[in-house]
Amino acid sequence: MEQKEFLKTIQAYRRRLNLAAFIKYSVFALSVAVAAGILIQAAALLIPLYYVNFYTLFTLLSGEFAAITVWILRRISLKQAALTMDSFGFAERIVTAYENLPQKGILVEMQRKDAMRQLRAHKDKIRIALLPSWKKLVLLLGLSAALTGLGLTPSAQKENAKEQHQLKAEAKEKVQEITEAVDSLVELGKKAEEITPEQQAALQQMIESLQSSLAEYQQAQSTEMMKAAESKLNYKYENISSDLYNMAQNLPSNASQMLTEEALQYMESMQQAAQQIQELNGSELAQGIPFSNGFNGKINQGDTAQGNNSGQNSGNDAAGSGASSSGGQNSGNGQSQDGGTGQGDSAGQGGETNQGDGTSQGDGTNQNGGTGQGSDSGDNGYNGQGQDNGEGSGGGRGTGSTNAEHDYVSVPNRIAEGSNLAGNTLNHEDSTYFRAQSGISWEGEHISHEAVIGSYKENAYEGIAAGKYPSGMEEIIKEYFASF
Amino acid sequence: MGEWDNSRMHDPAYMAERIASCEAEIAKGIVGQREIIRQVLLAMLTGGNVLLEGMPGLGKTMLVSTIGKVFDLSFKRIQFTPDLMPSDVTGTNIIIKNEKGSAFSFEQGPIFAHLILADEINRATPKTQSALLEAMQEHTVTVGNESHTLAEPFFVLATQNPIENEGTYPLPEAQLDRFMFKILVRFPSKEDLKNIVALTEGSQAPVIEKQMDGAGLLAARTLVNQIPIADAVLDYLLDLVMETHAANPHIQEGASPRAAQALIRASRAKAFLEGRFNVSFQDVSQMAYPVLRHRIIPSFDAISEGISEDDIIQEILAAKKT
Repeated sequence: MEQKEFLKTIQAYRRRLNLAAFIKYSVFALSVAVAAGILIQAAALLIPLYYVNFYTLFTLLSGEFAAITVWILRRISLKQAALTMDSFGFAERIVTAYENLPQKGILVEMQRKDAMRQLRAHKDKIRIALLPSWKKLVLLLGLSAALTGLGLTPSAQKENAKEQHQLKAEAKEKVQEITEAVDSLVELGKKAEEITPEQQAALQQMIESLQSSLAEYQQAQSTEMMKAAESKLNYKYENISSDLYNMAQNLPSNASQMLTEEALQYMESMQQAAQQIQELNGSELAQGIPFSNGFNGKINQGDTAQGNNSGQNSGNDAAGSGASSSGGQNSGNGQSQDGGTGQGDSAGQGGETNQGDGTSQGDGTNQNGGTGQGSDSGDNGYNGQGQDNGEGSGGGRGTGSTNAEHDYVSVPNRIAEGSNLAGNTLNHEDSTYFRAQSGISWEGEHISHEAVIGSYKENAYEGIAAGKYPSGMEEIIKEYFASF
Repeated sequence: MGEWDNSRMHDPAYMAERIASCEAEIAKGIVGQREIIRQVLLAMLTGGNVLLEGMPGLGKTMLVSTIGKVFDLSFKRIQFTPDLMPSDVTGTNIIIKNEKGSAFSFEQGPIFAHLILADEINRATPKTQSALLEAMQEHTVTVGNESHTLAEPFFVLATQNPIENEGTYPLPEAQLDRFMFKILVRFPSKEDLKNIVALTEGSQAPVIEKQMDGAGLLAARTLVNQIPIADAVLDYLLDLVMETHAANPHIQEGASPRAAQALIRASRAKAFLEGRFNVSFQDVSQMAYPVLRHRIIPSFDAISEGISEDDIIQEILAAKKT
């Protein structure tokens, strides 16, 4: 056997020894890790641990990593491999020959030859097992089976942990959402010059109200607490968005008759905040008051628009007197506020919706958008960009039916019939009334049922928030008012 | 094996075979005691001396004389007694008359031989003991102002009687350290005793033939000293010696560095005798007993508990298992 062959033989056994060592360390480390994993899984049966599988996996990976680290640190050298080979009856011939490979001398060379001869003749004596003893393997398999079984075993605590985790995730989302809403309101509050002290106080109240909801979410420990907090929050969102919008509408009365650019921007900001909060609530404003990207001049609650003499009605309801008669364009939204009356013979009188095509023919035929399914640009005919001069050039095009038919509001004590009715009369939110720009046109004094119901609803929700009602009644009350 | 060929003295394989044949030849004259023969031969190969401890009549004189025949070496026996003088061992100057008148002439003592059997060395006075020990260590004898070199190879086999303690001068530990081995000679078994009787009382005494000469023995020693020892084996050997100094309740004093040297030489000699040219762990562990047993001083606790030096060595070997 030449020296190279001798070295190759030792290297081959070294590789085998290193592989056997790696398997041995891995089996041991995995056994320990699996045992630890079993403890973790058992703990998860008693205490809620959402990330129990992650912890178990981490333990297993850590164990294997430790095994690899130890293996690298304790890698077997060629000398150690030679020594191990000698333990199979070679009386340290191989390691002595390996150490003295570079040496010369009669005895050293004789020893080397003797070692090589013995190795060639009795190589089959060297048996290095790759796998550890079967007992250790069986132990590892048994532990792994136990771990798998525990992992798949359902338990109440596991369900509890899932629920807790979901609650925390939801709460986190809500906290983020509320924080953004609060930030919007805080931003609004910074521009104190645009609002009255009372409105400022109202803003502050809104902020505090949202912050108390934030605290509720942070402290929520159960599904019931989350639901209660959510229901209160939704109520607050509704109120705040409505109040903000009202505040925005009242802004021109705070300022001079003519709105400044900054005031307009502030109004927009307030409306955007209201919209943002309303979207958080996941529904449209209860009053059905549309959002506007702008105004055609002033918007007063219930006021009729005073169109300018140019015949262009920039007002809300194109009260036909001036504007429509000239056949001018009712660019106005014809937004009918609560109580607003869209009076006028024609143009812009969409009944409820006044779907914003806004154009009225001189003869007074209403070119309404019918049901007010306006395009986005003129969402329900809203978007008349108001300018100071009252020219309502807004798009307000209702793309609906061009039948000059009126939509009728459905009121609790009146049931209208007609093919032009849309929506479910009993469905408050789908009622076309809530999408109307202008008020209902009928004689007599009317009070919208939202004002009535809304008032009752507001009282009821305040009572819920204050905890006046027994638990369990809250949902029933909400459902009742939601049915309107 | 054929006749001794001193031209092949530097052939390790031939010399290893020759030494093995010497062992076999010695065994022809000494029944049983194979281990004693082997250890004595190993001591000769290392250039060391042996202290034999055993009862009288166990063939110690026969052993040394047989070795003398096998190696064709001169043999002398010195019986140590309390009145033995150093000059009785080393020799002395005597006055002789010659043509020129009177002059001192050195008369060699019995120590001037290749093989010395110093029987019951513990009976002689320390002064006489030291004369022998100097010869063992230095291979010289100093008489007056002159030093006389002893013939090589020089080998001393000293004996001690374990039962006679009255009127004896036990060798001090420092002197014991000069012996390579301390060999315990047990009483033979019945079978061995039967063979001894048959051999000694038989009609024909066995013929012991020369297998090697003194020069061959010296050449064998040179070869033994060249036998390689692996680092792992050397570490094991040194760990054994160091362990005699560890906190052990049974050891009062551990072995000296001379023990490590003796253990290395003995292990090499054993490997050579077995036809191997490297030292193994087994060589070291088997040689630990004769090398260390007289170099460890047991504690009072060990003595009172009846724990012998061999028991202590066994503990150490078990603790340092390879």
